[in-house]
Amino acid sequence: MKRVLLFSMCFICVLGLFLVSPTFGANTIKIGIVDTYTGPATTFTMDVLDGFKMAVEKINAKGGVLGKKIEYTTRDEKFKPDIGLAMAKELILKEKVDLLVGTINSATALAISDFIKKEKVPFFVTFSKSSKINMEKGHRYVFMMNEHTEMAGKAAALVLAKKPYVKYWIAGDDYEYGHAIADGVWNNLKKLKPQVQLLGQTWWKLGEADFTPYITQIVAAKPDFIIVATGGSGMVNFQKAAKATGLSQQIPFYQHTAIEFSTLAPQGLNAPEGVYGTANYLYYYPDTPANRAFVDEFRKKYNRYPRIGALYGYMTAQFIAEGFKKAGKVDREALIKAVEGMSLDSPVGKLEIRTCDHQLTLPMYFGLTKKVGGYNYLIATDITTIPAKDYLPTCEEVKKARK
Amino acid sequence: MDFIYSVISPGVLSQILVGLSRTVILFIVSSGLSLILGVLRIPNVAHGSLYMIGAYMAFSISHVFGGSDMGFWLALVGAPLGVALVSLIAERGLFQYLYEREHLMLLLLTFAVSLVFGDLVKIVWGAEYKSVPVPQVFQGFVLLFGNLPFPRYNTFLLVMGPLVAVALWLIVNKTKIGKISRAAAVDREMVDAVGINVSWVFGMVFVIGCLLAGLGGALVAPTVSVTLGMDHTLIIEAFLIVIMGGLGNIWGALLGALIFGLTQSLGILIWPQFGIIFPYTAVVVVLIFRPTGLLKSTW
Repeated sequence: MKRVLLFSMCFICVLGLFLVSPTFGANTIKIGIVDTYTGPATTFTMDVLDGFKMAVEKINAKGGVLGKKIEYTTRDEKFKPDIGLAMAKELILKEKVDLLVGTINSATALAISDFIKKEKVPFFVTFSKSSKINMEKGHRYVFMMNEHTEMAGKAAALVLAKKPYVKYWIAGDDYEYGHAIADGVWNNLKKLKPQVQLLGQTWWKLGEADFTPYITQIVAAKPDFIIVATGGSGMVNFQKAAKATGLSQQIPFYQHTAIEFSTLAPQGLNAPEGVYGTANYLYYYPDTPANRAFVDEFRKKYNRYPRIGALYGYMTAQFIAEGFKKAGKVDREALIKAVEGMSLDSPVGKLEIRTCDHQLTLPMYFGLTKKVGGYNYLIATDITTIPAKDYLPTCEEVKKARK
Repeated sequence: MDFIYSVISPGVLSQILVGLSRTVILFIVSSGLSLILGVLRIPNVAHGSLYMIGAYMAFSISHVFGGSDMGFWLALVGAPLGVALVSLIAERGLFQYLYEREHLMLLLLTFAVSLVFGDLVKIVWGAEYKSVPVPQVFQGFVLLFGNLPFPRYNTFLLVMGPLVAVALWLIVNKTKIGKISRAAAVDREMVDAVGINVSWVFGMVFVIGCLLAGLGGALVAPTVSVTLGMDHTLIIEAFLIVIMGGLGNIWGALLGALIFGLTQSLGILIWPQFGIIFPYTAVVVVLIFRPTGLLKSTW
């Protein structure tokens, strides 16, 4: 009995060895993806991967790039920077990938960015929101395929500055993203409208489930407007609490990504109306043929609506493919040269990778949550489109930050 | 009323009520944890996962009924029972063989189980946020103490807390299984010797403890987004509460939950930016003066 057990254990281990060694084809373009595929962050990362996969399959079906197929392999960094960095090293040194894509964890992205700078391997960042990645710590090999906190903050401030609110309150998740978003909005708002006042701030621990005690405090202070800097599940949690306490009817508030599908869809028709939010992608807006085609393609393949991550992943794969095509060879330096200043059609219009800081020029949508007939969840209305040139930091600002 | 207001301001009163409703969830979950700790001596890290599974099951049941009120009430009954079933399988299939092991070993094992549960939840329910609608009766808020909004659903929680506490007291003190389990916690061999099947008693206690976790999950579901990772935050708080109250003592869990919930809500009143440090400071203070917890530990 024991021997059988031992044998089967060995057998399983050997089988396991076969499974864990991913084999890249010989004549292919190899891409390594490091991202979080366990835990709460998967809400966002699966869309990046699915969008990426959809684009790659389409490119390969048309014969690939320069006669080579694009291949990719994923690594789960479990939202831990040390694991993420180790995986990036493994992918580059052992798997010899041509470039890296990922991750949702800013700390991991910064660690990988530091490493690939020495190794001279291009790294396309697909969901990390820290502005340090391509501002202070930016360099030639890092590409930012999503908005960062400074950008989101500025976009919101541009619209809020035109509103009559003067007395503000800041509340948020007590971690880097929360503070960065709040600072982004507040610093830009103060620049645009010097008479705004900050009545006070509330910070709760990340993952806080019950916001009611905090909300009663904020209401008592009677601010005109609240900047709510929550992320992840805090988005939904805060909106539910705002509805239950009647906050949403009393004091208007803003949350970055409040109008996004991932925040509103789970709440159905119970989400609060009149919440201000920004988002880089809404599947129903702009209602253009390009966006409709993208949504239809994604729905047909995955049977759900694409969210922002899908756009990041989809466009990243396309920039990589077009970059290699333009470069005419599979070479890292040539790829960087090729994608700098390159612009491609996307579901949200023409997008460019800026030469000066490698930032993708996504438009930002500012809107208000509302019940609209035909949808069984709230959607964004009164949408203001903020073009990239208005809310991206200028090349001079980036240069200054990088010094 | 004016007299009360002159002693405590309306803001404080409302904050106390809010704190108490948080206490209810914390108490329900941590009393289950404490029960298992006291009788079975298992530091069940997977308890938080069962709370999460309870919330997800509540979502599924409510979803099947189109988010109607009926769905909510059925979820409140069905989700804890579902969790009890899951825990029964875990207990009969795994834990019952491990009661005699070292605590460290059990800690690691239950931690591993919590990771497995986490991934199972992702496989079954997916990674998107889920939300359980608040039933019609409890939607919106009531104005208390001079126009301070208090969510109606929280008043329901305030009723549920004492109900669960009384039910738990009856089970532990008045039922046969409660008495046997208390005896078994003190001397397992002796109970075995008088011809009682201790293994099944332990199994039942484990299931009851986990049922409480599931009930906590089902109760919290309408107030938050049901999401992966909701287990981690809660299990840390639950363990702190149990340690503060005295390991294995259910009333200690109640006391710990009260301290935790109230210091949190009142802390926010005193110092909004750093409201989160108050409950943890309370834990530190309690452990300095009462290293074994406030009430008598069964360990």
